[in-house]
Amino acid sequence: MKQVGRSVPGLPNRLLVSGHGTYVADVSLPGMCAMAVLRSPYAHARIVSIDTSRALAAPGVVYVLTGEEIARETNPIPPVADPGLYGGKSLAVRALPTDRARYVGEPVAVVVAEDRYTANRALELVDVEWEELPVVSDAEAALAPGSPLVEPSWGDNVMMHKEFTRGDARAALAAAGGRVVRGVVKAQRYVAAPIEPRAYAASWDAYAEQLTVWSSTQNPHPLRVFIAETLGIPETMIRVIQPHVGGGFGQKVPTFPEEIAVAYLARKLGRPVKWIEERTEHFLAGGHAREEVLSFEAAYGPDGRVTALDVRIVADVGAPATFVGWAMSYVTAYCVPAAYKIPHCRVELFTAVTNKCPWNGYRAFGKEAASFLMDRVMDRVADATGIDRVEVRLRNFIQPDEFPYSQVSGAMLDSGDYPRALRRVRELIGAEGFPEEQREARRQGRYLGLGFGFELTPEGCSLPHTTMLSGYDGATVRVAPDGHVTILTGVTSPGSGNETGIAQLVADTLGVGLDHVRVLQGDTDTCPYGLGNYSSRSLMIGGSAAKIAAIELREKMFKVAAKALEVNPGDLDAEDGQIFVQGAPTRRIPVRDVASLVYRHAYGPEASEVEPALESTRYFRIGNVHHQPEVQGRFSAYPTWPSGACAAVVEVDRDTGFVKVLRYAIVHDSGPIVNPMMAHGNLHGGVAQGLGGALYEHMVYDDAGQLRTGSFMDYTIPTAVEMPHCEIEMQETASPFTLTGCKGVGESGVTGPLGAVASAVENAFPELNLALMETPLMPHRVWRALRDAEAGRS
Amino acid sequence: MISKEYRFEAPRDLGQALSLLEKHGDDAKILAGGMSLMPTMTLGLVQPDVVISLNHIPNLDYIKEEGNLLKIGALTRHDTVRKSELVKKHCPLLAEAASFIGDVQVRHRGSIGGSIAHADPAADYPPVMLTLGAQFKLQKAKGERTVPATAFFKDLMQTALEPGELVTEIQIPKLPDGAGSAYLRLHRVEGNFAIVAAAAVVEKGFRSARLGLAGVGPKAVLVDVTARLKGGVTDAALKGVREDALKASADAYGDLNGDADYRRAMAQVYAERAVRTAAGRVR
Amino acid sequence: MKVPVKVTVNKKPYSVEVDTRMILADMLRDVLRLTGTHIGCGTGSCGACTVMLNGETVKSCSILAADVDGQEVTTIEGVSNGANQLHPVQEAFVQHQGLQCGYCTPGMILSAIQLLKENPNPSESDIRHGIAGNLCRCTGYQFIVESIQAAAKAGVKV
Repeated sequence: MKQVGRSVPGLPNRLLVSGHGTYVADVSLPGMCAMAVLRSPYAHARIVSIDTSRALAAPGVVYVLTGEEIARETNPIPPVADPGLYGGKSLAVRALPTDRARYVGEPVAVVVAEDRYTANRALELVDVEWEELPVVSDAEAALAPGSPLVEPSWGDNVMMHKEFTRGDARAALAAAGGRVVRGVVKAQRYVAAPIEPRAYAASWDAYAEQLTVWSSTQNPHPLRVFIAETLGIPETMIRVIQPHVGGGFGQKVPTFPEEIAVAYLARKLGRPVKWIEERTEHFLAGGHAREEVLSFEAAYGPDGRVTALDVRIVADVGAPATFVGWAMSYVTAYCVPAAYKIPHCRVELFTAVTNKCPWNGYRAFGKEAASFLMDRVMDRVADATGIDRVEVRLRNFIQPDEFPYSQVSGAMLDSGDYPRALRRVRELIGAEGFPEEQREARRQGRYLGLGFGFELTPEGCSLPHTTMLSGYDGATVRVAPDGHVTILTGVTSPGSGNETGIAQLVADTLGVGLDHVRVLQGDTDTCPYGLGNYSSRSLMIGGSAAKIAAIELREKMFKVAAKALEVNPGDLDAEDGQIFVQGAPTRRIPVRDVASLVYRHAYGPEASEVEPALESTRYFRIGNVHHQPEVQGRFSAYPTWPSGACAAVVEVDRDTGFVKVLRYAIVHDSGPIVNPMMAHGNLHGGVAQGLGGALYEHMVYDDAGQLRTGSFMDYTIPTAVEMPHCEIEMQETASPFTLTGCKGVGESGVTGPLGAVASAVENAFPELNLALMETPLMPHRVWRALRDAEAGRS
Repeated sequence: MISKEYRFEAPRDLGQALSLLEKHGDDAKILAGGMSLMPTMTLGLVQPDVVISLNHIPNLDYIKEEGNLLKIGALTRHDTVRKSELVKKHCPLLAEAASFIGDVQVRHRGSIGGSIAHADPAADYPPVMLTLGAQFKLQKAKGERTVPATAFFKDLMQTALEPGELVTEIQIPKLPDGAGSAYLRLHRVEGNFAIVAAAAVVEKGFRSARLGLAGVGPKAVLVDVTARLKGGVTDAALKGVREDALKASADAYGDLNGDADYRRAMAQVYAERAVRTAAGRVR
Repeated sequence: MKVPVKVTVNKKPYSVEVDTRMILADMLRDVLRLTGTHIGCGTGSCGACTVMLNGETVKSCSILAADVDGQEVTTIEGVSNGANQLHPVQEAFVQHQGLQCGYCTPGMILSAIQLLKENPNPSESDIRHGIAGNLCRCTGYQFIVESIQAAAKAGVKV
């Protein structure tokens, strides 16, 4: 039985359903002390002085760490992606500041005590004298001349200013006559909010000179690099362990100040230290995402073809940090105009810094805003021309035979069949029968709407000159003397299931059953160097590496088996634990016996010509990444380009603005699917996060830079009741660039709901000409739009 | 997490609890279900010196009928209220409202007395208590009194409770035969606070029609719409109900769920819907 | 300040001393070393900390350890009968992929068991409302619903 293509339940499932997973908070070591973080209560304030004497004197307090010691004893934290390398501005940031706090919640000092209660209590005994500074709480204001500065050494609040052009958009717009649509799309500030908050622990063995760090991270090897550089010790002295992680979604990529603090303190104190984040801290300082304003003008022909697009993007990325999140603004600009062909296009990006929590990675990583923008542009063109919304998209799509396609930014789109997916989702959602459904509902006083969206979600992000973001990864595959297989990967799984898919790939390659395969991830001591999990790379890149390593062992085993069976290696195949002669399967030898020959009879006739043991460590580097910048300084960073067509049917309560999603469909294309159940599961989760963004979730700051949404009561993620039934269908247009053809599913599903739901709500009231360009579509917003539109009519 | 130290008391009878409350006054917080108190303590918003748990006092958790009244012990959990045959029979409005509170786990633990004493402006019980004409037995170490719901809810999370007093019993007049009632609320996601909520009772023959509104100001408001519905549920009657609801929302506040205008509009929408639904349930 | 607490957890009696500030979730995790109960928010919103107290699901982050003296608690560790014999509801979650990262899962399973105890044949709406107090960020809930439907269909005895 072949495993690839089967819906195998996740390998860790039995362990996790019984509550026997190990998350960082579960790690307990003798002598362990607890850490608590003192955070800035101000959005922008100078640290005049910090007096730790009262805290140090409190019984049970072990140590108090401030920025002054951090500056003396540690280096700046290496940024994951330095904006300075891409034409933006850099900043050296240390784990704790000495001069200023730049957002509410920024760590300012750290207390270590015998227990968590004492550590928390002692925070009140750290005396910080603050001098409040002017707050920059809005990106547009941040860009205005004369604005207070978030980073004085920069001279302005622009971390990055970038422009991508093709043709001459301004000229084409000027020549378009009246056929121009304009608008402002706003995506709101968002937070990943995995159910497990962050947690870190560290322990220093002075005799072995080894620092062990447990982190709820997605990237243990890069984290090791960053900790080593920050602490100024060799990487070989550090072991990073990623145990079970309760969800990452891009937010748990390195490097957080608290990770450095825990590592530094464990070594300094010679005692294990643990920090468990409170949920309120997560909302304040865990890393936000997505706050972007996209102003557009699009010229179109009478046939609905968009001939020119001019977009100005202003991204509010919060305070400058070492986090990778700012890059999401770059990715938004990079992905415009997403799935469409537009001859004249100008995209201008302003990445603005403000006194808010810095962005860290979050699922869809800026691509969602680009596709949301294009969904709204296409719908506005549809309104203006009277052409059906699906038809307008079909006419503007990059066509299947036009791949590989070079997009405006230099991105190289690998493959896809967008028209087929969109047509299919139109069928899946029941678009044909919908007008009657809508009419019948209206007769009952109910308002139903149907909307479409199309998401383009490139994966495998590889940026030049970064430690973490590159298109390669490694795996070790071992066959033990008893024929059991171990796979150790450089990629990790914060819950997404790639370990199961990788096991399936390797099991098929070696011809063993899944019960003979074990996958180990997340330990820098045992797993080969890898870049971890982000940008949906784990199965497509990590899986490819594991497959290459497995192929090497397969070839070795076939050589040995061929000798045993007296055939040529090319005549053999393997399945269900047997290596057998193709066409004559009774001539076979168990995999276990072959392994035994290799290990126990190294000088015998079968194994004497192969290198001993059965262990292979191999690396895979994905194609379609172009890092040698061509003439215009562009590079192609994403090797694979999954896509998805989506549709939503909503019911809108006209009197209250309440929107309920009744059903949702997505036709998704990530190439061949290794494990359908896992892929579907990931998509359901992505759609849930997408619907959260469309309707329910919003991180809100006030003008003083104080966070107003600091708990799940105010930042409302969807419950099971909000989620509609979601129909998923897969389309498989393989990537020519990965070994398996897989493109990655991890970020899919998140984007489509934004455009599809907005479109659906508009569609519920065709007589009102609603233009809902801002998410989330909370009841009061929809209500206000309806009332304004009704007033406009009368 | 809770960081300030405090004494934990678990009295085994009501008298003991009341003495403790009298002794410690403002330094103490009462812990019943804890669904309101615990989050505030975890967030450090409330830092008592003494926590007095009522959870080990027997006989504070009951639902019984005495003549025309339903009597509910303060420690009765929301889920018990929701499922009670007595409540479903004699004031289904209360069971309906209880089914909206939080979620399954919250309803297993949260108590009716605790919720009422907390008096959140968006809470589900207060508008129901007003509409049903409930009254509450308040006890202290020396003495007890009964206060009608209309006099109990005073302002934003302020009640008529005096120092040393506890709500120990909720007394609700049974609804007359044939009365229809309805509880409706608008919320962003399941289990979240109500943005606006409306409780309505319409008696047979429109002898009486009352509305309780929550989320329209610092406290729940009772609106008597009997006069409006004299001639039945006509368009004019409902227009009048909406006008009354608008007037009752004069002190509506704005927050992340919308500005005051939105709340006032929702008050009108929900008032009308609750009255219509209640009237439709008259038998 | 510490107080004594006698509590039965997963049918085993314990006699411990806890800080009055300690929540039930932390007593289970740190004092009794039952780390299957997870803390996701600490304020009673996410339900990851769901356990059964005297046979009914509650959020253990919002209950003081000191307050469970004389009571009975069931955690996820008490649901299965050892490593090789999962509870039928757990088995259904395994087979139908009703989990991904596993962090919300123990609480979710306790809620599923509570639901099926009261309503052995729940509709999809019943199920969604029954687990509305358990937030999941990974699965989008669809496979969780299917897991519970499968368990109900198999007529599991909870």
